[in-house]
Amino acid sequence: MRSISGTRRALRWVGNGLLVMMLVWTLVPFYWMVATSVKKDKEIYGFEATLVPRQPTLANYTRLFAKTPFVLYLRNSAIIAISTTLLSLVFATLGAYALARLRFPGRALIARGLVFTYLVPPALLFIPLFAVMSVLRLVDTHQGLVLAYLSFAVPFSTWLLMGYFRSVPVELEEAALVDGCTRLGSLVRVILPMSLPALAVVAFFAFTQSWNEFLYANVFVNSVEVRTVTTGLTLFIVEDVFFWGPMMGASFLSALPPLVLYLIFQRWVVKGLTLGAVKG
Amino acid sequence: MARMTRRQVLKAAGVTAAVTTSPWWLVGKSQAQRAKKLVFWHQPNFTPLADELQKQQVYEFAKQAGLKDGDVEYAVVAGETAQPKLAAAIEAGNPPDVMRLYESNVQFYASGGHLLDVHDLVEKMRREPKGIFDSALTSVVYKGRAMGVPLAVNPWPMHSRLDLLEQAKLEYPKTWEEFAETSKKIQSPPRLFAFGMCLGLVEDTTDNVMNLLWCYGGKMVEADDKTVVIASKENEAGVKMIEAMFKTHKIIPPGAISWDNSGNNKAYQSKQAAFVMNPTSIYAYLDGNDKDLQKVTGLMPVPAGPKGTVNQIDTWAYGAFKKTPYPELAKGLLEYFMQPANYDKIIQSTGGRWVPVYKRLFDSPFWKEKPAFKHFIKMAETGVPVSYAGSPTPAAGEVLNTHVVPKMIQRVLVENWEPAKALEECHKRIAEIYARHAKG
Repeated sequence: MRSISGTRRALRWVGNGLLVMMLVWTLVPFYWMVATSVKKDKEIYGFEATLVPRQPTLANYTRLFAKTPFVLYLRNSAIIAISTTLLSLVFATLGAYALARLRFPGRALIARGLVFTYLVPPALLFIPLFAVMSVLRLVDTHQGLVLAYLSFAVPFSTWLLMGYFRSVPVELEEAALVDGCTRLGSLVRVILPMSLPALAVVAFFAFTQSWNEFLYANVFVNSVEVRTVTTGLTLFIVEDVFFWGPMMGASFLSALPPLVLYLIFQRWVVKGLTLGAVKG
Repeated sequence: MARMTRRQVLKAAGVTAAVTTSPWWLVGKSQAQRAKKLVFWHQPNFTPLADELQKQQVYEFAKQAGLKDGDVEYAVVAGETAQPKLAAAIEAGNPPDVMRLYESNVQFYASGGHLLDVHDLVEKMRREPKGIFDSALTSVVYKGRAMGVPLAVNPWPMHSRLDLLEQAKLEYPKTWEEFAETSKKIQSPPRLFAFGMCLGLVEDTTDNVMNLLWCYGGKMVEADDKTVVIASKENEAGVKMIEAMFKTHKIIPPGAISWDNSGNNKAYQSKQAAFVMNPTSIYAYLDGNDKDLQKVTGLMPVPAGPKGTVNQIDTWAYGAFKKTPYPELAKGLLEYFMQPANYDKIIQSTGGRWVPVYKRLFDSPFWKEKPAFKHFIKMAETGVPVSYAGSPTPAAGEVLNTHVVPKMIQRVLVENWEPAKALEECHKRIAEIYARHAKG
């Protein structure tokens, strides 16, 4: 018995050690980003790389807010990411419910098609999508970018929710229907309340994907008024000169919203991911 | 699963075909749907003033042309992302009307039939008193016609720490051999290496290496843009000099092997290198961020080799795209930009980042009063592009972008190949690229 508990203890130590290594691996780049954002140029470019800023300064942040349209970029990213998230939730919920519960021809084909749609890389889609946007006069608009982002957010979200809805006992829904609920009513009153973890996962996925997206934002947006944070960051590189201080400040600030969102919904997200939502 | 009827199969096939091909036939229509009459893509300069002036000029021209502000799209496109964005816009049939293009990109897009012929405009520029530098034309002339409007000459001087030379009571070296000796006297590694030569697998390495090889009489390709001559005795001598500076004299930081394009900038800006060959982006950066270092920085011609001093230049040009529904507006904007009075304002506002293509603008006190600019007029007159003795063709662009020359120099410095063997391999690869482009 003693040897078994000793082995367990050793394994736990190894596990903890691995976790610490992963934590350091994850946090060090983040720390470096924050530390660089409060260094002066001379320190950033100095001979010695300093782990702790010698003379911390907020000058890079002042420059970011006073001399660049960074707040506008943040606002645009927020508008686009929130809109994409809300629309994804609505479309994916309705789509997933239909695929999980209703019987109609081509249902299986559509369900598989969702996965294939999601697997098509944006690098293949951005040119035809750009043409579509041009015809619809949606180039350089928030709406255009939201529409483009729905093309990857909705298929994955629908697939994810479909799996989760299937795990909800159909008898509960039937009972609601017998009691006079409509299909939509049973979806809203029975299925959705039981699927909150999955909805949290979908919301988190749609938000982070659209918040971090670069390629479509780069190609479909031209003006400062619509530009998002990810493409705004590239303006801190002028030819072969990198303005590291403000760039790292902007990177740090733009990493915060998904982080905060995750911390708020952490419990549900973990539950959603582990209760079968991703099992398909 | 229920069997599908023939009619259902045909219907499904029709819908699938329409859905999958619709984006492609929409490409043809996308240009016609454009809401704006004048679309200009601006890539930021180093100075906010230059950016502001450029914007002003676009709207001034639009007003003169009878357009409203709402008819103009002025987009700021980061330089790093400009090419993929442009490629997508061209594929989708919706490129901007006018944008700035780097060197070989003019001939690249001209060869694809995407650019408007602006020969008349360039001829008009040449008729200005004293005319324009011939060196500015090498990148814009395609099959005898100017397909781009030369915007600026971009010299690659040796950024030099004059204070260190003064402290050591040394003159700026005249030859590469002197350069190596001087370097050993002023450096104090590992904090300060003398020569921040870019040696990573990046474009700046091709620029830096070729610049030195020219001084030894070497070149990449003959002026016919067909005969590749990189495997030559002259180039071999130049490569041996680089090898000696790296391995024997140890005046180049070992880390330069893994630098990116900003590596030499960072080395000079952080005072870890006393000399670097680079466009004046470094000088412009210092203007806004480190005046003290700027004061002691000289922009010198590169030292001479057996064939003398050869300085690199690259050029920026404006391109107007053929897809524009309003070609007269696009060309009108270019003409407005290039009116010497308008043009001079932009050039001067870049603080030395752009060197004018009009010779007479060098008469201005702006270029005469600053000692740092003393050598610029000669560099602009005699400078050569990286593809020397050829012109910046699409093939030359591919050689630059695929890092053939950096791979050659790394064979010598990292894998200890003999220079002749490394040059032979490099020659084969460049010859393949040029042969493929010649076939079309």
